Amino acid sequence: MFDVIQPGLETSIQDYPGRIGFWNQGFPPSGPMDSWSFRLANLLVGNPVGAAGLEAQYMGPTLKFSRDGVIAICGADMQAKLDGQPAPLWESIAVKSGQTLAMSAAKQGVRAYIAFAGGIDTPPWLGSRSTFHKAGVGGMEGHALKPGQSIPVAAGQGAAGAGTAGRKVKPEARPRFPSDKTWSIEVVAGPNDDWIDEAGQQRFLSSDWKLSAKSDRTGFRLDGPQWTFTEKAYKKAPENGAEPSNIIDHGYPLGAINLAGQTPIILVNDGPSMGGFINPYTVPSAAFWKLGQSKPGDIYRFKAISVDEAQAQRLALNAICQNSNIV
Amino acid sequence: MIYERPRYLPGGDRYMLIEFGNEMNLELNFKAQGLAAAIQQSGNGGVIETAPCFASMLIHYDPDKIGFKDLTKEMQSLIDALGPSDDIELDSRLFYFPTCYLDPWTKAAVDDYCAKITKKKWDPEYVAELNGLADVQQLVRVHSGTEYWVAALGFWPGLPFMMALDPRCVLTAPKYNPPRTWTPQGTVGMGGASTAIYPVATPGGYQIFARIPVPIWDTEKRFPEFSQSICLFRPGDRVKFVPVGVEEFEHVEAQVKDGSYVYNVVDYQRFSVRNYQKWVKSLNKSDRF
Repeated sequence: MFDVIQPGLETSIQDYPGRIGFWNQGFPPSGPMDSWSFRLANLLVGNPVGAAGLEAQYMGPTLKFSRDGVIAICGADMQAKLDGQPAPLWESIAVKSGQTLAMSAAKQGVRAYIAFAGGIDTPPWLGSRSTFHKAGVGGMEGHALKPGQSIPVAAGQGAAGAGTAGRKVKPEARPRFPSDKTWSIEVVAGPNDDWIDEAGQQRFLSSDWKLSAKSDRTGFRLDGPQWTFTEKAYKKAPENGAEPSNIIDHGYPLGAINLAGQTPIILVNDGPSMGGFINPYTVPSAAFWKLGQSKPGDIYRFKAISVDEAQAQRLALNAICQNSNIV
Repeated sequence: MIYERPRYLPGGDRYMLIEFGNEMNLELNFKAQGLAAAIQQSGNGGVIETAPCFASMLIHYDPDKIGFKDLTKEMQSLIDALGPSDDIELDSRLFYFPTCYLDPWTKAAVDDYCAKITKKKWDPEYVAELNGLADVQQLVRVHSGTEYWVAALGFWPGLPFMMALDPRCVLTAPKYNPPRTWTPQGTVGMGGASTAIYPVATPGGYQIFARIPVPIWDTEKRFPEFSQSICLFRPGDRVKFVPVGVEEFEHVEAQVKDGSYVYNVVDYQRFSVRNYQKWVKSLNKSDRF
């Protein structure tokens, strides 16, 4: 159990993989943007990888503990301090009732994850505790944390569940954030890559794309060169819509690079399930952590990989998020 | 056109989009919904969830359980087993909604758009003109003259994408450019050949000309219709808009508020594509109400 003194910037309760199974009703999965850091934080405190924890963005929260316990912080460095003393990242920490954890602005990366031994125990909604702010569901009263709230944490089961302080993530198992604000992001062609002409595809893969400030947990907008299209984008039934990037409304994959007019928007965890724009490329799940840790102004360079490669990377990331990487 | 063989398109490492065709045609949606039902019945462990839409279906699958190629094969054999879409029969509820056409609330949203963003013709006048109707009164007659088929839910939780089942009532409308920044909750609007109801006040791009006082999503689950889900609709439901005046709208709105409203829903029918097609063939499609 802890109390929210300062909420930070839209700090929210998330679990992994989130609210799955309601895409056909329009509910996004939500869940942590960087599930790599999130899962490791849970393992550090003895939780299953998916247990509910906090996602802090840009500016972390200040929390006061009302029970002894064990926590861990992974992901962006928000210069966390426990009662004024620096609290390490990538390591489980013992906290005492009455102590205060204060986090500030993210120095490197954007999102920090705080796991609590036992896991946050707000009522699940449609099978998940993840917050979907836009619709006001899940999490704590449907929204980001607010000052004065008391957040329940479940009692861990057994000795391991209560958490052990001083456990660390092996350095080689931690995500590495680039120092030059430039990210190489994998993409898989499709579902609608055949709407983009050869030159357009080349341009997409060889250009620098700048992450726009108009980005949030629903979509990441990118600024970059113009798109050019194949005949398919022009010679189509009128119900597709008039613009070249319009298509008959269809389901959107999570991670789709959704082309609204000329603006590509990567649809992320709280994104729309359906709509009338083409998706020439899709960011596979193993690259999502990079989206979660990049900030407006950062540069994306896209690298095309196959479906098989994307699935192999997913397995490789799952293999990293294991107890064998906690020492 | 309707493709002879559906197209299986990858969406990253865990999604597949199955495209049945590249036009808006009820038959394609029947196929998408038929496949969604077949996947559920087959108990395919590799499929996590599906999202059928107008002419396609998105599948979210677990790559630990099935690869893209094997999933393609399995989906093709399920589609082959579906047979002609004429044979498809689906459970289908029918919802009646009191609907205030040409209402003051959507008009206020359009006026605000004209004042702040860009000037445009009042939506019902615009849609009536584009579809060769005599006036906005005929738009009301034509739009409310049919049952609507809930082809898909999406964009916003619980938002129904619907198509007119009666070909004499098919209308089309372009989308707003740029989009509207707000739309009243319960607004009924059109874009392309699709009609939608806005579950909550959101931005939007459809031409708007009516409003219902009945919630189609309810996080508090105040009505029994929401006991299974906070979204009222399921794909395959039908909707009938019943024109009412402002007074009746406000009466129902008050009933919703005090919890005494009873949803008018018919829940014993199965929708037979064969019977439907037979009926459509008997109609003169150029007739308008």
